[in-house]
Amino acid sequence: MPNIIVLIGRVLDPSGIVFNRRAGRLFVNREEYLLQPADRCALEAALRIKEAGRPKESPSAEVVALPRTLLPDDDVLRQAVATGADRAIYLAGQVANADDALMARVLAAVVERLGGADLVLTGATTLDTGQGQLGPRLAEALGWPQIVDVWHVEAADGRVRAVRKEKDGFVAVEADLPAVVTVLPGVLKPRYPDGARLINVYRGVNEMATALEQWDVADLVEAQALKPLVERRGQEFPAERERGARVSGTPAQMAQTVAEALRQRVRR
Amino acid sequence: MDFTFSPEHVALRRMIREFAETEVAPIAAEIDREHKVPHDVLHKLGQIGLLGVCFPQEYGGMGAGEAGYCILMEELGRVCTSTATNVGAHIGIGAMAIHLDGSEEQKRKYLVPLARGEKMAAFGLTESNAGSDAANIRTRAVREGDSWILDGGKVYITNGGYAHVITVMAVTDPALGARGGVTAFIVETDWPGFKVAREEDKMGIRGTSTAELVFEELRVPHENVLGKVGEGFVAFMRSLDMGRLTLGAAGLGGAQAALEWSVRWAKTRKQFGTELANKQSVQWMIANLATEIEALRSLVYRVAWMVDAHQPFTQLAAMCKMYGSEVGSRAIDVALQIHGGLGYTRDFPIERAFRDARIAEIFEGTNEIQRIVIASNIFRDYGVRIRP
Repeated sequence: MPNIIVLIGRVLDPSGIVFNRRAGRLFVNREEYLLQPADRCALEAALRIKEAGRPKESPSAEVVALPRTLLPDDDVLRQAVATGADRAIYLAGQVANADDALMARVLAAVVERLGGADLVLTGATTLDTGQGQLGPRLAEALGWPQIVDVWHVEAADGRVRAVRKEKDGFVAVEADLPAVVTVLPGVLKPRYPDGARLINVYRGVNEMATALEQWDVADLVEAQALKPLVERRGQEFPAERERGARVSGTPAQMAQTVAEALRQRVRR
Repeated sequence: MDFTFSPEHVALRRMIREFAETEVAPIAAEIDREHKVPHDVLHKLGQIGLLGVCFPQEYGGMGAGEAGYCILMEELGRVCTSTATNVGAHIGIGAMAIHLDGSEEQKRKYLVPLARGEKMAAFGLTESNAGSDAANIRTRAVREGDSWILDGGKVYITNGGYAHVITVMAVTDPALGARGGVTAFIVETDWPGFKVAREEDKMGIRGTSTAELVFEELRVPHENVLGKVGEGFVAFMRSLDMGRLTLGAAGLGGAQAALEWSVRWAKTRKQFGTELANKQSVQWMIANLATEIEALRSLVYRVAWMVDAHQPFTQLAAMCKMYGSEVGSRAIDVALQIHGGLGYTRDFPIERAFRDARIAEIFEGTNEIQRIVIASNIFRDYGVRIRP
């Protein structure tokens, strides 16, 4: 049974921010961060694989949480441990514009230092910037197989089995372990953190006293490996969506109008 | 001075808010309409440790202190007063009495399953002739060998219809009165002689059980005496102090929800060619409300901090309960006025919240009693003793 690494990131709580297209900027009313929803699903998938067919007392695998990017604090890692990850490693270091290419190199070095792993799980996309490259790039860096955009994943007997969502349906895919799998957001209902674990991991006491480690990025990779691929040249908001049309009439008439409009769109 | 929440309390609030919005808010209207206790939600709350939020971890609790408990009540109060009330009666007074006064054996036997949410608790003080006048209790307990025989009954007991464990006050020595003659007992509700006589049909908090209980030759083993024989009154007053503070927190959550609904509606609703938000009359309502809510928030969490720092807080807890319930009622009244006709319909949660808010001025010591507590504490500081 596998040892699982989960890569998790954070995102500004969408309920605390407001977009202003006219001003061309984003206003942060309340700066709070949540676990990236897809990463949270990946964590849930990891915990379910760990628990599959096993009594709680004799766990078969260890789930280690790592940050998907360089973070100013370890808050999401503590959340991951409170939710059930056995431990987490905070990566300390300041790198301007750390992108997925750079992080793939750093994380490959972390996996190596951990003595390998059986499975790496992460979100298929980020809620804010829509990044989906980290999983595939890490798989390339490690030379492992990868399965992206999965709906369902399980692992046993040296194989990982996943169901991918593709354009016209679902496709079952298998690969040998070790492998990298990216999980779509919203496909699992993630569990809530455990209350006592949450309190203890934030206080760093009891069974949680050693759950969080800190490694320095500078000790993991050479300085020249820390050059990002992506250059930030500015920001632009996507064009405003076209306004919808309002239909009226009896429910039957309205349904007919909508169906006709959809048919037109499909034909186009 | 430092008015920031600790990182664990920030994380706890985030977890509870998500739970409240995902699991509780969607059922709030239904449990009100159908008059049913949300057992599923209570079970889930127990599974993640929230029904033991303030109890020590060695007794199955979370160890988040009174501040953590206030956060729980605020966030539940924000989405569903019924759920907050179920939880408050369980933790704040039912299990709290065992936490404060239970022996080691009693805590192992009763507090642990209560803190884990495996069993639910209630608190039995009020009688038909004794509520606010807690010293006028008629339920009798007579010693018989290793047991006590309880006869009498209780009314308006929150969680009374389904609780597994109820802490009950009974007279053990009529000659001594409240101080010395009243004892607290831990009663299991499946013992012979315990009966739920009726469930009240209430104006609000309809997702709770408010029951009339009858004890007929109910045999309670002596080991279930909570605290010392004759000292039940003082013990129960201490539990009530803890409960009062968190009622203020629930009122805070309810008021916060009223403010959020009002702001959202004022942004949307147009009259005379402009949004309500642009009307000064509405702006002033919002400004006044927000100020009261901030004052209440400061009071609630300052007192929670005092409890966790083991400072005396009786007078301030009474202020929390009184002010919290009144801000809660005023807030929902203002929200109803801003929403107009829409708020008066059952399509919107304002109507339910309006009915729910009112009870907080009544239960766990009416606001008149809170004012007596506050006044008597103030006068005592000046060497004057007042009597109700």
